[in-house]
Amino acid sequence: MSPGNEGFVDIAAEPFEKEYLDPVHRVGFWTSIAISVAMFLPALLLYLIYGAFAPWAAILAGMGLALTYAVPFFIIEPISYYPVYGDAGNYMSMTTGNVSNLRLPCAAVAQAVAGVPEGTRKGAAIAAVGIAVSVIIGVAGVFLGSLAGGWIVTLFPKWLTDAFKIYLLPAVWGAVFGQFALRGPVYAIPAVIIAGVPLLLGWKAYLVIPVAVFGTILVAWALYRWRNIAPRVG
Amino acid sequence: MDWKAIANAPWIWFAGFVQAVIGVGQAWYFLRLATRLLGKHGGYQRKDVWAIVRGAIITAFGPIMAEIFVMMALIIAISPAYAWQREGVGVGSVFTELVQVSNAAVGAGQEFGSPSFNMVGFATAMVVVNVSCIGWSLGAAFFTRYLAKARDKIARGDPRFLAVISVASTLGIFGYYAANEMKKGGGRPTAVIAGAVLSAFLFKLADWLKVPRLKEWALGIAMFGGMYIAHLLGS
Repeated sequence: MSPGNEGFVDIAAEPFEKEYLDPVHRVGFWTSIAISVAMFLPALLLYLIYGAFAPWAAILAGMGLALTYAVPFFIIEPISYYPVYGDAGNYMSMTTGNVSNLRLPCAAVAQAVAGVPEGTRKGAAIAAVGIAVSVIIGVAGVFLGSLAGGWIVTLFPKWLTDAFKIYLLPAVWGAVFGQFALRGPVYAIPAVIIAGVPLLLGWKAYLVIPVAVFGTILVAWALYRWRNIAPRVG
Repeated sequence: MDWKAIANAPWIWFAGFVQAVIGVGQAWYFLRLATRLLGKHGGYQRKDVWAIVRGAIITAFGPIMAEIFVMMALIIAISPAYAWQREGVGVGSVFTELVQVSNAAVGAGQEFGSPSFNMVGFATAMVVVNVSCIGWSLGAAFFTRYLAKARDKIARGDPRFLAVISVASTLGIFGYYAANEMKKGGGRPTAVIAGAVLSAFLFKLADWLKVPRLKEWALGIAMFGGMYIAHLLGS
């Protein structure tokens, strides 16, 4: 098995940068641009084939509403997730979506299986493997799901489809939280309280998420600064 | 022509395939690059990499199945082709998709899901839902290379503090999601707590028993276990 945390040896900086990071940024940049361009394709094809194009007023009003919801997450998500999944993980996650419910759990399990701490060069490469696998099988799964449509649902008893719809996601959040709570048990309760209080006050998600992330980091920093408490690195 | 028929025509399947080819191509390239690096400079053998891949496959199964179930709402409300185009490689999350379609419909002066939603509403949705999410992909293109510098500047080269930031930020994010579900009540708090306890127990058990392979299954078992316990106790 791969090296554990004890005596952990990271990949040297030079080969990591030259043989991995440089091509990651080169390919990541162009594929992210290509995905961005491809996002215009549906509207373009709809216009070219059917001559249908939305009125500009409707587009601007709809974009205004949609961006009000999305813009804070353009900034918050990469900053919050990057320490766990690294550069390649960020390119893949920000171009394929479903980050918190799929990409991040796969990255976390990959690192746990390899016994490698997140935030290291090895951790970043291993997270990239986990996320890449989730993208490939995720696309295949969604394609089959789209083709099979409602037929798949009929194969499962109703209680199971209901359980998937209602309870799987909360169980995913809990499971990943439990995994990381082992790495930093002293941060676990403060993390829930810091997120829970503004939620009970009815704050919007785009405000609560940065408060939760940076508030927990602040508590962790204080514990490190004054009590020398930190997760195991190796 | 009825917008529902247009929404499942070959053009939209094709648009989904173009996105999927780019997304899967990117993932395949990074997978090759990372495994080569781990083999050459990380001391990982093929079986070690395969264990990581296996863990990711097991973990991905539950969330992908959940995505497919939730996707059924998109399939019924719009079309299978739309679900493929948006959820294959579509940047957005399946859970927010219907919100964005509804926002687009409001922009067009219509209500999604009502008879007022027509071809104009659909055309608006096709622009709005797709173009409104390029902030993520353009942000990745232009700013990813600066994220490491920002993180290192904050950590000032201290690997222990880097671990503090990584673990605390992950607990912060998932603390938010967990607290948000717990606030909703019903069986959801049970799912969160059962998932957390099962996951922590299984990861610890793998260390106690010295069976690292159990970690490949830990998150997958915890997800399904949490879901099933919530079903038993929550309904």
